[in-house]
Parts: sequence; C-alpha cells; structure tokens
Amino acid sequence: MLNIFYGDMSDAVYNTASYFKYDYEDEWIVDSFVKKMILDVDHSTVLDSGVIDSPVLGKIPPLALSGGVKTLILVKFNTTKVFNASTRGDNCAKWLLKIAEKEDRTINLRHLMDFGDEPFMIHILNTNQTVHSMAELIPIAGEFV
Amino acid sequence: MKGTHRVIIQTKRLRYDFELRRNITIIRGDSATGKTTLIDMIQEYVNNPSGSPVELTCDKACHVLTGTLWREQLSAMQDAIVFIDEGNEFVKSKDFSKEIQVTDNYYVIVSREGLPTLPYSVDEIYGIRTSGKYGTLKQYYHEFYRIYRDNTLAKTVKPETVIIEDSNSGYQFFDSVCSDYDLKCISAGGKSNVFHHLNF
Repeated sequence: MLNIFYGDMSDAVYNTASYFKYDYEDEWIVDSFVKKMILDVDHSTVLDSGVIDSPVLGKIPPLALSGGVKTLILVKFNTTKVFNASTRGDNCAKWLLKIAEKEDRTINLRHLMDFGDEPFMIHILNTNQTVHSMAELIPIAGEFV
Repeated sequence: MKGTHRVIIQTKRLRYDFELRRNITIIRGDSATGKTTLIDMIQEYVNNPSGSPVELTCDKACHVLTGTLWREQLSAMQDAIVFIDEGNEFVKSKDFSKEIQVTDNYYVIVSREGLPTLPYSVDEIYGIRTSGKYGTLKQYYHEFYRIYRDNTLAKTVKPETVIIEDSNSGYQFFDSVCSDYDLKCISAGGKSNVFHHLNF
C-alpha cells in the first residue's frame, strides 16, 4: 500500500533529482517496469542502461530524465529513504500506485497530487486514515499542505 | 522592475517564448514538460558568456538562483529575472520572502508546493506545453499556459458563503458586498487557513 505523509517532513529527501544523480544504478534503468514508466511519462525509449532516446532532446543519459521519473525510480528501488514526491506531476500518480500495489512504500507530498478517478487505497500517515478516492483524500490531506 | 517582459530562449532543438507580467510567476504541471530544461538552458547561457549554443533574448538580465548560498547570490542580482528550479528548499522560507520583497527583480519559481509566504497571483501560475515544431526547423516550441483559467470551473457557482483571506479592509469590503446579496462572509485570517474553513 502507498503511505503518504503530507506537509513538511524533516527526514524526507527534498531534492530528489540531486539524490538520483549519485544513487541510481544501471540495472534500474533497464528494468522492464522502469522502461514502461519512462516511455509513458517522458515519451522516451531506453536503448541501454546509459542511453535513452528522447523525442525532444535526442539521445540522453539517465541524468537527463525528467524529475518525475527520477523520483519514481528512487521510490521503486531505494526503500531505505522517504522521498519528496512533490517533484512529480500528476502524470506520475498512477505509477506511484502501481509501485505500491504489491509492496509498501512511503512518500512525502507537499501538494495535493491528483490520483485520478479510479478507486485506490492510500494510507495517510498524518491521521492514520486509509482513503479510497480523491473525495476522501482531499479534506484530510488539504489540512497539511 | 515593472511591466511585461518577454523571454525567448532557444537552442537548435528547443525554443521557449513567454511573457512575465508580475514580479512572481509560478511554474508547475506534469512531469517531463520541460521545466527543468528551461532553467538548465538559462544556467548554461549565463555560465558561458563567451560562447553558448543557447540564445537568450530579453530586455532584462536573466539569472538562476540555487543552493544554500542563495542569499549571497541574490545580493548581486538587480533589475533582473531570477529563475529558481524545484528542489530549492529556501523558496518556502520566511527569509527568502523577506529578501525578495526588497529587491526589484522578477522571479520565476518552479514548484508544486503552496508557498504561503510569497504574495503571488493565481493568474500567474503556469504550466508549460509543447505546441509542436517551430516553423520548418527541427525545434520544439514551448509556451506557457495559464493553469487556472476563467473556464476552470465547469459549472456556474452559486456561493452560500464567501471566505476572505484578509481580516481587515479586504474583509470589510466583501462583507459589505455580501450583505447586499444575503451571503455569509467570513474571514479566514490568512491564506493558509482558507482550506481549513472549507472543511467546515
């Protein structure tokens, strides 16, 4: 399940792009799940662990991926840290839910990310409540961001 | 600095063209729309004055503010447009708010977070969209779009209560207007409290 702490969280990694720079591993980039995320969010194709084909930027290294994808990759593979997920746009929300489908993940959000119209299960750590829709989530989370 | 300032920044592959109207502009929106790339291009142009593949056209100097030494950097920026990428924690601080209010710069801040210490307009919150290739060149054209437009509300709103951020003259004005229409008017006592009042 996806656990979210809303608002300022002192031990969360705030600058996720900077953290990714010295933390990512080659195997993460060529993971089949990650390839799908990169294709969906960045519209880019992973050619190998060091080269990604972007329709706008040309051939780019993993460090030039979007901030959103970098944070998603960190959330998937680095389970020792809590990351500030407000560096991701709403187009990353479904991937957050997919990452946390089978394993627990905890993230920090400092804005109201839109998790869409489909039912979901999110545990809000601030109040220890589980919500299943944006209609349930907004009145609770909005108090903290 | 006052008025509207147009910024055009481009490389062989990318072109951004936008106007800034107020002293604080916020950029947010989906991932992978080119927010960080825009800031990187400005940084590249500024850091390599003797020759950069980035072309910048603007009637004001452009700078990028970043890192823990932001205060020292800011002291050297006057009558300029200052860009700040997400991941810079200082933008939320009261110190930053206090510092920029005594400068004459315009600020473009990439952030999805609420920034209650900064006085920015809802009209100056933008996303970036790619509107196709520019002319016949192999260049993707990026422009700003206003996130909260006049048509953001899908239905006609019939308010029962009007919540006013202000507690002084602004509240008194709207309280007087609301009384003419038999509407309840309450003061939130600051914009950070508006959401709390919506829940009750």
